[in-house]
Amino acid sequence: MTDKGLPPFIRNWRRFYWIVVLWLLVLILLFYLFTNHFG
Amino acid sequence: MSTTDWGVLCCTLLLIVAYGVYKSKGIRNIDGYLLGNKSLPWYHVALSVMATQASAITFLSAPGLAYSSGMSFVQFYFGLPLAMIILSISFVPIFHRLRVFTAYEFLEKRFDVRTRAFTALLFLIQRGLSTGITIYAPAIILSSILQIDVVYTTLFMGTLVVLYTVYGGTKAVSYTQLLQMTIIFGGLLTAGILVVYMLPEDIGFSKALHIAGKSGKANAIDLSFDWNNQYTLWSGLIGGFFLQLSYFGTDQSQVGRYLTGSSIRDSRIGLLMNGLLKVPMQFAILLIGVLVFAFYQYNSPPIFFNKYELHRIENSSYAGQVAELKAEHHAVFEEKKKQIHRLTAALDADDEATISEVRDQLQDADVRAKEIRQDLVALMQANDAKADTNDNNYIFLSFVTENFPKGLIGLLVAIVFMASMGATSSAINSLASTTVIDIYKRFVSKTGSERRYLSASRAFTLMWGIFCIIIALYASKLGNLLEAVNILGSLFYGTILGIFVVAFYVKRAGGKAVLAAAIVTEMIVVSFWWFDVMAFLWLNLVGCAGVVLFSLIFQGTRPNQQPNGTSIATQ
Repeated sequence: MTDKGLPPFIRNWRRFYWIVVLWLLVLILLFYLFTNHFG
Repeated sequence: MSTTDWGVLCCTLLLIVAYGVYKSKGIRNIDGYLLGNKSLPWYHVALSVMATQASAITFLSAPGLAYSSGMSFVQFYFGLPLAMIILSISFVPIFHRLRVFTAYEFLEKRFDVRTRAFTALLFLIQRGLSTGITIYAPAIILSSILQIDVVYTTLFMGTLVVLYTVYGGTKAVSYTQLLQMTIIFGGLLTAGILVVYMLPEDIGFSKALHIAGKSGKANAIDLSFDWNNQYTLWSGLIGGFFLQLSYFGTDQSQVGRYLTGSSIRDSRIGLLMNGLLKVPMQFAILLIGVLVFAFYQYNSPPIFFNKYELHRIENSSYAGQVAELKAEHHAVFEEKKKQIHRLTAALDADDEATISEVRDQLQDADVRAKEIRQDLVALMQANDAKADTNDNNYIFLSFVTENFPKGLIGLLVAIVFMASMGATSSAINSLASTTVIDIYKRFVSKTGSERRYLSASRAFTLMWGIFCIIIALYASKLGNLLEAVNILGSLFYGTILGIFVVAFYVKRAGGKAVLAAAIVTEMIVVSFWWFDVMAFLWLNLVGCAGVVLFSLIFQGTRPNQQPNGTSIATQ
């Protein structure tokens, strides 16, 4: 798995994958708060 | 629609088609026609992948679903980002290194030609049928606006898409999708802002969400675990993961998109960007549906959003009963409106007791309104057993055409058209790719010239286009179109994914075992669906797990006889 050509702030593919997972977790948390707040 | 709207609609469609045709000039071989010479950057891949998935159905059904059932549908997409990661790690590098045109080519290298042909056939059935639905979805818009039979609008829409796809090939598909998605994002943002602007002066964005939320529409997360609940956090994460992995990893309409990337890096970044953007985008589309619901708490909604069917029942022998139901429906609306004003005051005063009381009363009123609509539906069915009694897909469209200013109606209608064009063209392109590469070139004409294969690609694109139009003509009886497409996908995707999972990760399984496992599993999946054993998202998991399990059982302790097996799996 080569890391060549990635944007500098991502550094390697592994970090990119973790960003996607964390982003999903943040979204789920936000949606949970949304459901509780408005429901 | 006004002349201005027609002008905006025609100019937008013309611009898109002209741009696609211009960008796809000079195609000389099937590499250019089916893969765009593998030359596109990552942002092309990302937008093309998104545009292929976000068909017109997304923009018609999703706001309708949010209006009637709330935000829970967003959970359907939770498995997508995780699937993008697995694809980036496993699928993309192998497909690129093997220089395949279709995902199914890989299966012959790993197993045998029968497994390749069987999987390609499953794809052709599933994609051929569901593409018919994606053509039908925007056709109902024209039908509703022009008040003419949906058969004529389906034929018009389908023909337009087919002609442009036959000429353009995959390059035209990608370039038009880039432009389409830009206009779609802009149009939806404008629509969202306008819905809030159209609410009463004292009702802002937050208060509108509170009002909709108290009627049960802010249900974005459901933590319960229920096999028969379509949309929960768990069905979305687990079942959705398998569906999305199968869709993006094994459905040629998506594989063909990211194979146009100029390198493994471009395909990967394109997919991962899709993983970052898809869930928020879907949330935003559903949010528009919830805001439309808030709008109709202050403005009397029609008793039935499909004007064509409503007009028919109003002019039948049931006219008297319909008038009574409409009066009853309006009375419920007036009662709800009073409760909404109480709720607004209670929200301002932060009066929890009143908020709780009003919430119960609003939900009771919603139940009454639904009962009245069910009575109307019963009358429609009594009048005509074949009447289209599901108006979910008409909700957003009806709202736009009745409330949006001139010009913007044309743009919103154009967005639905463009979404359909993007999804349909890449689907027809992928059907042609699979037919040419996995069937025609493999079994019929193994040593033809580039020119011959290019002509065959165009001919099969035309043939599949006509097939999809015929299916579209029968799509009106499928209820909610978005769910119909997803259910259809879930019947086949799990099995197809299972074959690929075995190919990638179960090195000792051979072609005979996996083919037998796939046939047995497909029969199980179809019977689970037929007898309504579980919600459809779980069928993806059953399909995938079934193929893996049966492959291991059928292979037993025998060694894999396929010489190609290990060499591909270990790459």
